[in-house]
Amino acid sequence: MTTFPPLPMARTRLTILARQKLSCSKGTIPRSQLIKEKDDIDHYLEKNFKGLSKEEVAAFRNSYKKSICVDMLRDGYHKSFTELFGLMEKWESLKKAANLKSIFWLQKPLEERPDTLDHFYYYLTRAETAEREGYLEDVYNNLYALACYFSDPADKWVRNHFYERCFQMAQLIKVDGGKKEAESEAHMGLLYEEEGELQKAAEHYEAFHHLTQGRRWTDQDGRALNLLACERLLRIYRQLADKMVENEDYKQAIKILRKASEVAKEGNDRTMEGEASYYLGMAHLSAGDYDTALADLNTYSQISTEQDDDLSLGRAYEAIAKVLQCKGETTEAIKYLEKVVKIARNNFQSLDVVRASTMLGDIYNEKGKYSKASKFFQQAFDTTVDLRNMSLMDETKVHYGIAKAHQMMLAMNNCIGSDNVRGLDCLLSWKESRSHLELDPEQELDPEKELDPKQGESRRSTTSMPQSSTEHTEEVASFPDNQNKTET
Amino acid sequence: MDVIYPLAVPKGRRLCCEVCEAPAERVCSACTVTYYCSLLHQRADWVSIHEKICQLLIPLRTTMPFFNSEEERQHGLHQLQQRQKHLIEFCYTVAQKYLFEGKHEDAVPAALHSLRFRRNVHGLSSVELVPAYLLLAEASLGMGRIVQAEEYLSQAQWTVLKSTDCSNATYSLLHRNLGLLYIAKKNNEEARYHLANDIYFSSCAFGTEDTRTSGGYFHLANIFYGLRKLDLADTLYTKVADIWYNYVNDHYQTLLQIRAQKPDLLGKRLVNDTGLDEAQDAEAIRILTSVLNIRESAFTKSPKKIILVLKTLAMLCYLMMKSSKAKEYAIRALTLAQENNNVVEQKIIQEFLNVISAEEDRPAN
Repeated sequence: MTTFPPLPMARTRLTILARQKLSCSKGTIPRSQLIKEKDDIDHYLEKNFKGLSKEEVAAFRNSYKKSICVDMLRDGYHKSFTELFGLMEKWESLKKAANLKSIFWLQKPLEERPDTLDHFYYYLTRAETAEREGYLEDVYNNLYALACYFSDPADKWVRNHFYERCFQMAQLIKVDGGKKEAESEAHMGLLYEEEGELQKAAEHYEAFHHLTQGRRWTDQDGRALNLLACERLLRIYRQLADKMVENEDYKQAIKILRKASEVAKEGNDRTMEGEASYYLGMAHLSAGDYDTALADLNTYSQISTEQDDDLSLGRAYEAIAKVLQCKGETTEAIKYLEKVVKIARNNFQSLDVVRASTMLGDIYNEKGKYSKASKFFQQAFDTTVDLRNMSLMDETKVHYGIAKAHQMMLAMNNCIGSDNVRGLDCLLSWKESRSHLELDPEQELDPEKELDPKQGESRRSTTSMPQSSTEHTEEVASFPDNQNKTET
Repeated sequence: MDVIYPLAVPKGRRLCCEVCEAPAERVCSACTVTYYCSLLHQRADWVSIHEKICQLLIPLRTTMPFFNSEEERQHGLHQLQQRQKHLIEFCYTVAQKYLFEGKHEDAVPAALHSLRFRRNVHGLSSVELVPAYLLLAEASLGMGRIVQAEEYLSQAQWTVLKSTDCSNATYSLLHRNLGLLYIAKKNNEEARYHLANDIYFSSCAFGTEDTRTSGGYFHLANIFYGLRKLDLADTLYTKVADIWYNYVNDHYQTLLQIRAQKPDLLGKRLVNDTGLDEAQDAEAIRILTSVLNIRESAFTKSPKKIILVLKTLAMLCYLMMKSSKAKEYAIRALTLAQENNNVVEQKIIQEFLNVISAEEDRPAN
């Protein structure tokens, strides 16, 4: 919420005096006005009167909270007083509950915040005057202003209290056709969403949506309330669905997401529709229903291309690739993933690049094409280095290492399996320097063939041609080369 | 013969009148330890409080009997203190009751007794004396002696200022009386200030919805009513009525519930009880009757609120065992409800009337 400008408040006498004592305000009132009991004060006496009036004494002696309360009561605003008193008592009980759990309770009590108390006085008294005269809208406005004032996360309970009051008040306002009611439903939904009670939040948001259907209301920032309702409802449905997916309650999740996509269609906002289909697709994926997932994700990608939204297009392709991977159509998956990488690169979305490259590498890894896998992993690793994201770097490092290890696996197997000294030498040198192991270029090309036991002899025959390999070693370490050269 | 001669009294001993501290000429023949200066004062004191505490004063005003051992002496001293404390409370309650019933003249001797005993027990400048001062102030106000009331109140205020540990309840009472003083002096600003303080302190002490806080609201409402700010006064009266209604209703419902359960072996029934002492009872009745009168004489009648007050009064009288009055109020409420076709209220009131009739028909235990 925006910060509040200082209130041009008509402060009562006691509070002015008390604030002087607090030295946080300016403005005095002439002493002659304070010293009511003395009649016939003339100019001389006024200037030279020594002493304190009763109110000055009271201002000095009493706490600011007491001054405010007394001012409220004096003018007859007993309901404001009851509310303020109730809030302070609630603070006390919260503090007690917190003290039981932990020693530190850093929040300042309401009593010690003079500005807060001033705001309370101002708004609560105005709300009460309005209530007395029957202007419920004014009451609502004042309570709402007070709720906005408490935007500090530590003061959440105060804000929630006022949101609830606004809600109760709004139920009674019928004059404006329910607009205030709709707004207050939105606030209550937000309240519950923050607390994590998604069901209740969903109910309130549904009511909000229902009330704003077909109406052309806008809120203060000019956004259409209907749109806002759809957005919020979608959000809450998605959260609910997420929770259900965690609990593996797929059917419910899918039901809710279908509702969400209907809502999105109503909202006439293509992006929202697209998002709804995206989430539906993801839910179907978790449920194992690949074809429906594909259908939904295709809709999403169509909508994104319509909207020229590259980012969402990238997301769509990525999701499609995942589905295809689960289905087993890896070549298709690879195609999509490459598209994703390209899009991501164009839009400088490094994280997406990382993710996509990792996925690509993974696919190739499974297929057995280790060198391609390690190439993509290297790509991912380089991008994370640019990003300087330590956890991602570590992760990609691991993947890269695994791919490299797989690459080396064949050569390692050969060296171990071979029964000549050269293999042993290779192994030893590798152990010492941990650099790239020699590989036969011919062997690298077709690892699948090598794993075939029939081809085992061909492998043995090919190992007897090590000389060519020395020239083709890629790696930096010259030691094994030298050794080989010296041997041969 | 209950006349005594001041000159016949032993040298140095001065016998003073209970009420006015003038040299005493008469003695009460029932207890022989209480002295008065004239028949007028004796009669006044007897009517007010002496009838009730006559015999209780004897052990306090005579010398202690001879005890054989230290233990017995301690016990005797302890007994004496207990008696004094009991008397303090008793006199205080009696005086308060008189005040709420409007009998200010009668309240004065009782209040004086309370003050004297407190002085004896606690000392001259203790906070405990403050309630007694306040009572005397209120009585003086009721009798129209404003200067005297101011005197007592200043004494009370000074004592409060000097003491370090004054409870919120005492502050509340002090401010309430100060408020009443300023109402009598027609200084509405000050009165409002003091009553606001009163409400604040009693909320701190008892909570905002307590019956003791309702007195403060009531007086504030009176001020606004006097200032012709009728809507403001109205909201405050509503609040007072609500507080009392909730309180009385709770008691009534618990009573009904307990009655509905099986009676215990002896078949004894739970006695009606308001949970308040006599003074608070009287206060409640006074407040509610005033609210009722104001509501009934209001320009725009709101039957719902009147019905509420009538119901509260009926239930209160019933709980205080004044069934006839309870019936009267209930019947008034019923007629009003019928006039306004308020079916729900009619049912409730009818049930209540049935309970009262059942109570009357049953022979008293």
